[in-house]
Amino acid sequence: MTSILAVFGKSPFEPLVDHARKVHACVKMVRPIADAVLACDMDRLNKLQHDMSKTEYEADLLKDQVRHNLPHRYFLPVNREDIERFLGQMDRIADDAQDFSIVATFRCIALPKDLHDDFLALVDKVAQVSESLLGLAEKLALLQKEAFVGSDAEGVLSRIHDVAHMEWESDKLSRKFARRYFSTPGIDPVTIILLDKLCAALGGIANHAENVGKNLRLMILRK
Amino acid sequence: MLAEALLAANALLVIAVVVGFYKAWNIGANDVANGMGTVVGAGTLTLRQAICLASVFEFTGAFLVGSNVTKTIESGIVPINLFVADPMMFGVGMLSVALASAIWLNIATLMSHPVSVTQSTIGGIVGFALVCALGGPGCIQWAKLGTVAITWVTSPLAGGIGAFVIYKGIVRYILKSNHPVHRAKHVVPVGFAATLSIIFLAITYKGLARVTIDRPLYQLLGITACIAVVSYTVVRIVILIRTRGKTLESQEGGYEVVERWFGRLQVMTACYMSFAHGANDVASAIGPLAGSMQAFKCVLNPDMHLNPEVPVDPWLLAFGGAGIVIGLATLGYKVIIAVGQKITEITATRGFSAEFATASTVLVCSKLGLPISTTFVMVGAIMGVGLARGFAALDLRRIRHIFTSWVFTIPVSAFLTAAIYLLIRSLGIA
Repeated sequence: MTSILAVFGKSPFEPLVDHARKVHACVKMVRPIADAVLACDMDRLNKLQHDMSKTEYEADLLKDQVRHNLPHRYFLPVNREDIERFLGQMDRIADDAQDFSIVATFRCIALPKDLHDDFLALVDKVAQVSESLLGLAEKLALLQKEAFVGSDAEGVLSRIHDVAHMEWESDKLSRKFARRYFSTPGIDPVTIILLDKLCAALGGIANHAENVGKNLRLMILRK
Repeated sequence: MLAEALLAANALLVIAVVVGFYKAWNIGANDVANGMGTVVGAGTLTLRQAICLASVFEFTGAFLVGSNVTKTIESGIVPINLFVADPMMFGVGMLSVALASAIWLNIATLMSHPVSVTQSTIGGIVGFALVCALGGPGCIQWAKLGTVAITWVTSPLAGGIGAFVIYKGIVRYILKSNHPVHRAKHVVPVGFAATLSIIFLAITYKGLARVTIDRPLYQLLGITACIAVVSYTVVRIVILIRTRGKTLESQEGGYEVVERWFGRLQVMTACYMSFAHGANDVASAIGPLAGSMQAFKCVLNPDMHLNPEVPVDPWLLAFGGAGIVIGLATLGYKVIIAVGQKITEITATRGFSAEFATASTVLVCSKLGLPISTTFVMVGAIMGVGLARGFAALDLRRIRHIFTSWVFTIPVSAFLTAAIYLLIRSLGIA
């Protein structure tokens, strides 16, 4: 005879929330890095890049933990593929944040003063996208408890739109910023290449955050 | 020679009683309290209250509804009247069944293998029938055995479907609605009324002969309907009084309130589980004991003959019930605590769905005289809730492990019983 407890496996949802928090910790470092970029503070950039790598590595460990606890013999309330994709997209957010930190250390980027605000606006918007996504991802464990229905689920579903909307706004900011640094005369071509790479990383963060949101919607709406 | 046989019969009778008690104790110590665990874990009842309630319902289930399944085990698989010429043979055989399943139970527990007492008992009976001189494959009631075996497959299925439907219903009708608390106000009293009236009907309709009232079904259904209406009304009034003047929906989003109310309802379903469990599982402890007792009595008193019509002695059922209760009180509380700590998984709505479906399935089987495994049905019910997206993760390998255990439990206990039986025979006692 056995206690009925033996049939319960480890829930993947709490570790998923932990992972999401760690990923957002990576994204939160983007703003200090951006400040250091504008100040051309290479020592600080190297230190921040080091911190970023460490955090990203920790996120990777958490990701592997979730994956290892998610073998095929488990029976889950959401599609396993949705969880995998959720994790994968989350992981790419952290990767892009890390890319941003690495590109920032290549060399001092001399950005003209009047472009600073545009750059920081884009950085902040991307951090906002990630933050509002985290707000939703943190609800995952609670949603599971509430069987993915009810007012909390409705609330998350409606706020997934907000994430998508913010991603669109960050896209607009990115385009505006790109137009400016391509059209401003006198910027060194290498700087433009680096700015392009930084913007690509920022755009990646926002895009993947939106994808995570879409994934979350699929999880909740799964019939 | 006769004196020796009498002595042996008396000695074996004592052994049969001891083994029967040991098995009842074991049943009580192991899987009685799964239902109560959720209630204690949620803090709705204290451990002491839970043990008291479980004891009362386990005992009433065993005593008042346990006779049908006991009868099946005693003489439904192997007809007792085949052994009129040699009651000693039947007595020793049934004793071997009891011994073998007790031993197998201990071995399996040591190897932490989940096995069902019911299945090892049935396997033992088959093993005995195959090797004893008056038996052989021809004497086994294959149709009855087949029905039992089919129920081992269909009962977890029924539990699973029941739990799925109930939980889906709760999600659709209550949790998904815009006014979950308002909906729950109607559903919780229905749950109370349903549980109470089912227990009442189970006790009274063809319950234990001479102890419970035996009336025609339509009268009983009438009384049951009255009980249902009264209990519904009482619970409804209690809820209305308690919630008067409070706006529960707005302050907590409703979900917590619904879970809390289902937590109260779960006290009822946990009792229901204990009741159904007692009604079915007492038989695996008491069935072989009842058989060997009747046989040894015939040996001791040559005027008596083995007769399948003899009803199960109420005292024997009480004895089995008492054994289960003692097992529950001495070791079963550990299961209650262990399940209680897992309360985050088993929320009240989920626990209610799984428990109500399990208890109903087990109780129906008990009334039909079908010995089944409560654990099997419970696992089926948990899978049902899981299919309805109820649980964060269920370990399919463990589940398969539990379901496949019966494949080897049957032959092992059959073999063990045959060995013990032949050993006792070779000692020249019977």
